[in-house]
Amino acid sequence: MTANLTLFFVVVFLVATWMGWEWPFIAKMMPVYVAAIPGVLLAVVQLYRDITDWDKRRGKKGGGTEMDEVFMTGLDRRTERQRTIVFFAWFISGALAIWLLGIVIALPLLALLYALVEGRERWTVSLVMAAGTFLLIWGLFEYLLEMRWPPGALFR
Amino acid sequence: METSLFHAAVQGLLNLMQLKVFLAMLVGVSIGTFTAVAPQGLGMPLVYAILLPVVIKWEPLTGIALLIGASSVSAICAAYLPILFGIPGGSGSQATVLDGYPMGKRGEARRALGASFMAGGMGCVIGTLTLLAAIPLARPLIYLMGSPELFVVMLWGLSMVAVLAGRRPIKGLIATAFGLLIAMVGQQAQSGVMRFVFDQPYLLDGFAISIIALALFGIPSALDLALTKLGVEQQPAPLKGSLLDGARDTLREWWLVVRCSFVGVWVGIVPGLGSQVVDWLAYGHAAQSCKGAKESFGKGDVRGVIAPESANDAKDGGDLITTLLLGFPQGVVTALFIVALLAWGFLPGPEMIKKNADLIYSIVWIQGIAGITGTLVGFVLAKELARLAQVRYSFMVPVLFIFILLGAFSVNRDPVDLLVVVTFGILGYFMKRSGYPRPAMILGLVLGDLMEKYLYRSMASYGFSWLTRPGVIVLLILTTVSFVFTLRGRLERKTEAEALSGRAMARADDR
Repeated sequence: MTANLTLFFVVVFLVATWMGWEWPFIAKMMPVYVAAIPGVLLAVVQLYRDITDWDKRRGKKGGGTEMDEVFMTGLDRRTERQRTIVFFAWFISGALAIWLLGIVIALPLLALLYALVEGRERWTVSLVMAAGTFLLIWGLFEYLLEMRWPPGALFR
Repeated sequence: METSLFHAAVQGLLNLMQLKVFLAMLVGVSIGTFTAVAPQGLGMPLVYAILLPVVIKWEPLTGIALLIGASSVSAICAAYLPILFGIPGGSGSQATVLDGYPMGKRGEARRALGASFMAGGMGCVIGTLTLLAAIPLARPLIYLMGSPELFVVMLWGLSMVAVLAGRRPIKGLIATAFGLLIAMVGQQAQSGVMRFVFDQPYLLDGFAISIIALALFGIPSALDLALTKLGVEQQPAPLKGSLLDGARDTLREWWLVVRCSFVGVWVGIVPGLGSQVVDWLAYGHAAQSCKGAKESFGKGDVRGVIAPESANDAKDGGDLITTLLLGFPQGVVTALFIVALLAWGFLPGPEMIKKNADLIYSIVWIQGIAGITGTLVGFVLAKELARLAQVRYSFMVPVLFIFILLGAFSVNRDPVDLLVVVTFGILGYFMKRSGYPRPAMILGLVLGDLMEKYLYRSMASYGFSWLTRPGVIVLLILTTVSFVFTLRGRLERKTEAEALSGRAMARADDR
């Protein structure tokens, strides 16, 4: 997976270099000379390290601490993959629902269904969550702040 | 202190004497406290990313009060998860687990929490005082800086961020370069050239940083909760003992608090170091310098809680020194804070010191007052906050979904923003999984535009001769030296702090 993401970066930097090559100097200074070209070089080095399993072969990691959180769940691979797919399915469905139904309907519906189906909460708890979401989106934004949400694609 | 700065300091305090500003700060404190206590995965970057689209529509001081109020207390109450659940809390409180959890397990959870609140509050005050002292001291130096010097300072910071990207320097640099590239999307103001627009009107103005930050941090955070099913599959240590005992322990160890607070301030000032490092450095320092630490650390020594917690809170003061005085962010939170300041029309750095010194002092006052308020909240509401730490994932995940989608959609009310949040969310997940540091990408993204502006001004004013300015030469030498030395040091040895904390961790694991 690490090699795949590195390959993605190699491609992105190459495309950026190719696209920016004909731009005037002032326009390509940062994207091409500061970001894309050094990016390609570094990503190729990293790709070689990923493919040859460099870190493991060297038997040690460099010093220093982690800048970002480390991905570590302690779950077996199958459970982790299953939960990850379910999670993204919920999230993408939520985004699609906003597009189709509009945010005022979609988000309370998402809260209700997630709590009920995935979280196995009681009906009452799930309904309270949905109502709270509705109050936040409609009551606070639309009613108090007078911020009009666009209707969903199905209602236009 | 110079008279003008003194007046600015007084005016900065008077600015806060408005009900809405004060209320915004209190709301910020509540949000920061909830974030610190709430189950694993929530963090200040996510909170800033959620709040940003909302607060930039407010008037500046109210928005600043909310943001700074939240971030200044987020570390004070961050010890709940390490002490009660034995899992690292938000970044900056990870070392607390080594001694906090053993204390919790042996019925001293309240004592450990009391020590962490007190140490956090004291650390926050020390960090704020340092920030207060830094403004008049740094002002003459900052006035010497023009666009060329500021460009090199940012380059310096960015190179350090990438090098200090922990164990993965190359990945850090790649993530930074990728962030810079994303920042370049859209029509360039100086030349009018459309860069990476692909004939899409949506891309003309580039990506909204707040949406990308929401996606990169929000989705992996929510996924963490969904994966671990926190609150359902994990049970907390009992909330026993006395908070006041912990407060007394901290007061007795006041010198340790002062030392570790300055470690925190230093980490805040040095570009690229951040909350992922601060607690370990302070813990390592305490493990080296405290009497009998070699035997007791990792087994529930209260000093192992005091050291990281005081440093973690003092760091915020150090962070703000470079953020406000140089316009260079030290991490994701300060990077997003700069985005908010830019949206309000302030350019952090020399320009802001010249034109808006009172606002800088307002930020300092908010930082200090919110820190003290957060400490009091911790002591008064310890029991209630402990219940918050047990909120189930089935509640937290939909709440995060709602805020991420709402935050993204509210920026332009454009469905394409939803596509962007999903895409960058998936990228954030893969980056976290593959060890590409997301903070490096966010820093590249935020600084890309600023750096280009300074570089353009330098080239337009001086051509290539800006490279021969004395200030630029000095800063370039410093950049090169620190880059090479940091890389060399990183390659040659593991830090002493890590070795010490590693030993303590091994002892904690044995138990």
